[in-house]
Amino acid sequence: MSKYLFLLLVVAFFAWYLSYSATRLDRLHHRVETSWANLDGLLQRRAAIAIEIARSEISDPAASLLLTFAAHQARDASIKDRSQAESGLSAALGILLESTEEISGANEKALVQELRELNAKIKMAIAIHIDAVNRTTMVRSKPIIRLFRLAGNAPEPIVYEFEDDVL
Amino acid sequence: MMPISKKRIGIVCPYGWDTPGGVQSHVGDLAQYLISAGHSVSVLAPALSDENLPDYVVSAGRPIAIPYNGAVARVLFGPIAFARVRQWISQGNFDVLHLHEPAIPSISLLACWAAEGPMVGTFHAAAKRQKVSFAVVPFLEPVIEKLTARIAVSEAARETLREHLETDAIVVPNGIYADRYRDGVLEPRWSGNTLGFIGRFQEPRKGLSILLDALPRVVSAFPDVQVFVAGPGNSDETLEVIEPNLRDRIHFLGRISEKEKANFLTSVGLYIAPNTGGESFGIILAEALASGASVVASDIPAFDSLLGHGKYGTTFTSENSQDLAIKIIDLLSHPEERLNKAKQGKEYAQSFDWDVVAEKIFDVYEMAMAGGRKVTLASENRSWNKFLGRDTNE
Repeated sequence: MSKYLFLLLVVAFFAWYLSYSATRLDRLHHRVETSWANLDGLLQRRAAIAIEIARSEISDPAASLLLTFAAHQARDASIKDRSQAESGLSAALGILLESTEEISGANEKALVQELRELNAKIKMAIAIHIDAVNRTTMVRSKPIIRLFRLAGNAPEPIVYEFEDDVL
Repeated sequence: MMPISKKRIGIVCPYGWDTPGGVQSHVGDLAQYLISAGHSVSVLAPALSDENLPDYVVSAGRPIAIPYNGAVARVLFGPIAFARVRQWISQGNFDVLHLHEPAIPSISLLACWAAEGPMVGTFHAAAKRQKVSFAVVPFLEPVIEKLTARIAVSEAARETLREHLETDAIVVPNGIYADRYRDGVLEPRWSGNTLGFIGRFQEPRKGLSILLDALPRVVSAFPDVQVFVAGPGNSDETLEVIEPNLRDRIHFLGRISEKEKANFLTSVGLYIAPNTGGESFGIILAEALASGASVVASDIPAFDSLLGHGKYGTTFTSENSQDLAIKIIDLLSHPEERLNKAKQGKEYAQSFDWDVVAEKIFDVYEMAMAGGRKVTLASENRSWNKFLGRDTNE
């Protein structure tokens, strides 16, 4: 009798553990979604600012061309090309930010300031996103989670390459 | 400028509100700043009595004093506290939850366990890796990983978090009201070849004895040197053990007001922080720098990173009074260099101003809130409550 009771307890504990692990993983997937949504939004804003800068008096015609091109590429890129496009935009904006001393005009200064603040936020968003991805990947790789396919159909979270070299 | 959208923010402080401490005053200042920016803030904290609590603080019950990590911590846990935490969360309808020290066995950890949604955790402590952490990490990990974003108050705290919990954090320092210190007035009675010390000087980890041990050597190089000690404590007991010929150069000021503190830090020749450990951030050093003081501090991790590894102040080998004496003599004999460093430090300390710090913290809140959800009780706690027939106000 007590043997069955013990078995029942073990099964019940196991079932609880599975459900607990599934909830844990589900939460992590949600965290990755949130952090990516946040990062994506900031990157879109960066592209918008880049286009504004290209139209302003900060940039010479060559820089304008480069910036506009890079910004549109980053905005329209498919998931596959996103990383490269964002890196391109980072590089284009990086060149511009190196020589901001000569910039005069309140509007232009405000634009550059906005870009700087946005960059700081993007850095933070990337750190948050990378941490969420790492943690999720780690939990997903646990044997019990792989064995019981607790990740379900949720896509494997990825870190984009551009995140390493953003400005 | 803070954004116009007002948020409901819940902050959990793990330590007893009525006991003075770095985390408590940080939480209090932050809450007041956010309230003045128009947000609605509720702070949950353990408290000995409900009287004299500011109206934004909700008591979670009486704290228990337990020795933790080499000091006595006033924390709170247990089923009653947990029920209060859950009630506070479900009634608060918060947009974001900010948990301080969620890796300490207190209500922040309980709140992190009980809630889900946008959550931010701030880690204050910087500690060496301990053997026991191997045993507790498996319990902490699943709870801590629920945090949407983590903040560390210093590089040292970030390093601790990386080592213990293998997770990264954004560094946002503790805040000070920099303008109070910037406008400190130089008072002649404290200036000259003087050494300043602030703190509860009878606590060994504040390190006053290290400064006093360094004194004979300093006096032989600079016979006019004077020491001013500010802070609560029994000065007679401390004076008794000092060599009689040194006694008349040591002046105990007792507790000083905020205004006096700013003037004191502005006036003293050198500000000495010989703390031997137990400091998570070193807010006093940020205040000293903001006042334009030349700082000499022990090289414990929190101080070293706050002083930019020697860029904004001088460090000496912790607990080594000989080294302290050498550094003091060197600085007193090179006033120009010293003032130059202090000037840079003063500029750098503006980055600790609440205007800058609270803005950064709010940026992190916004990132955590990007999903658009509100803070709710975690699903497993909801079903548990239903099972027990408890009202969760949902």
